[in-house]
Amino acid sequence: MQHSILGARIRQRRRELAVTQAELARRIGISPSYLNLIEWNKRRIAGRLLQRTAQALQLPLDDLEGADERPLYDTLTGLAHQPVMRKLGVEGERTNELIGRFPGWARALGELSRTERQANERAQRLSERLANDPHLSETVHRMLTRITAVRSTTEILTEYADLPEERRTRFNRIVHEEIRTLSDVGEALAAYLDRTDDAEPVLTPLDEVGSLFADRGNRFVEIDEAAQPLNAMLGDPRPVSRRQTARQLVQDSLEGLIDSLIANQPQIRTAAARGRARRALLDYAVAAVLMPVDEFAPRAAQSRYDIEVLAEDFTVEVETVCRRLAALPPADDVPRFGYFRANAAGTIIEMLGLEGLAVPRYTTGCPLWVLFRAQQSPEAVIRQRVLFPSGERFVFAARARHTGPSGFGRPRHYITDMIVTNEADARHTVYDPDPSATVEEVGPGCRLCPRETCLHRVEDPLAE
Amino acid sequence: MTKRVLLAEDEPNIVESLTFLLERAGYQVSVQTDGRKALDAALSEPPDLLILDVMLPELSGYEVLRHLRTDRRGETLPVVMLTAKGQRADRETAMDCGADLFITKPFANSDIISAVEGLIDGRNG
Repeated sequence: MQHSILGARIRQRRRELAVTQAELARRIGISPSYLNLIEWNKRRIAGRLLQRTAQALQLPLDDLEGADERPLYDTLTGLAHQPVMRKLGVEGERTNELIGRFPGWARALGELSRTERQANERAQRLSERLANDPHLSETVHRMLTRITAVRSTTEILTEYADLPEERRTRFNRIVHEEIRTLSDVGEALAAYLDRTDDAEPVLTPLDEVGSLFADRGNRFVEIDEAAQPLNAMLGDPRPVSRRQTARQLVQDSLEGLIDSLIANQPQIRTAAARGRARRALLDYAVAAVLMPVDEFAPRAAQSRYDIEVLAEDFTVEVETVCRRLAALPPADDVPRFGYFRANAAGTIIEMLGLEGLAVPRYTTGCPLWVLFRAQQSPEAVIRQRVLFPSGERFVFAARARHTGPSGFGRPRHYITDMIVTNEADARHTVYDPDPSATVEEVGPGCRLCPRETCLHRVEDPLAE
Repeated sequence: MTKRVLLAEDEPNIVESLTFLLERAGYQVSVQTDGRKALDAALSEPPDLLILDVMLPELSGYEVLRHLRTDRRGETLPVVMLTAKGQRADRETAMDCGADLFITKPFANSDIISAVEGLIDGRNG
């Protein structure tokens, strides 16, 4: 709970009840001047004194602590951090007062900020797509080529009065033909934009599978339920054998379920995406057999979501743990996780997204993410506390691991796994940063990032 | 002596209008519709100028240009590149590959003719 809201909440509630500072101070057994300091956030309040205060103000402790207002506080603080707000002189340090004194306005501002962020994310996705979608690029090229032919030919028809009749007829036919083709291309383009004009445009097989996982919150309850009883059949404690047995069990018992699940998903449209979705869900099912949710969820909470401890406990790779964390059933005290995997070239090769975290789908990411520097210190988890231009704060935990055969003289290839959670959720985890930990200002990748003065910028933003 | 222009472009209607324009302007025009053939033609019988589309089958315009610039016969050949994109990155790529001029589709006929005249006259002047 942020201390700064508490003082304002006490003051606001006391005024609602028309109790004087002196009277409340008397009831809770402190001096009026000390209460005054608490109300103006000059002194901390906790423990029994806080309980007595809640009682005196006739409020449940949670209400007084403003637990419900924590997300609003985070949103408004994030908003106040934005460069444009700083320029306007927004009093970020007085967010608590805003919430305490004008809760309706504060909620309205929070809601506006949320919808603005969603609109920005959508605009960024679209502008990114316009620049990188191979189909759009090809179509635009075709249109411009047709327009060129029309323009050049009509200029000839207008400017050369002495054209022989045969040539004139030929050029007229070209114009007619090109305009008809142009109209077909335009129509196809409109249909294409129409078909994909939704919040999550679907383009490549990878996108199709990504959409399926995103729409399901990275979680497939039907597979989890069917996988649970298979765990008892694993036997042999050796990791490789358990994994092979799990894969065999999945192939024997869950393939039908997975195939019918894919057949019913509107996001999966192409044969290539079906193949990819099948492989992804088979991996999901193997992980669900090795780490059934009923066993994994409590153990994960107990270890405070330590990916290395969990990998050791369940004798699996860290990446399997990360995927399982992204698939945890939602609950108030369970952090929401996203998962990223990147290779040495800095390409994100797998992504289980997290709400509010904008990530480029077709271009390179932000070089400041620990995901891309973890390979400098392989086999160690590196934590990073980050602030996005939207004001969102996240905690990243990345670990690079060697893949492929080992041996003297052989090249070492590393892959990095990274879990991400928002900062508020991170408090449930071993990765919870100390409040004094450095907050690194990062972005979603140069093309989508508005930080104009970033020293690491390599190209201009698309949306300005 | 009539100057020769090699036009490397795969869109037949654009080829037709550009051929007409260049011939009217007094040039002798030969046409190739894929990158490989355009490169062979430019090297075997170097023209006075090459108009090179970026999007060509077999070899892209960029590839043709890179090959040309590493060959003694094509090292100094004046090249006007045509592209339908017009983004800064494409212009930069064309210039990095060694294009003398860069014209973005859709262009006006006068853009092409003045570019061709400018480069050929400049060469001879």
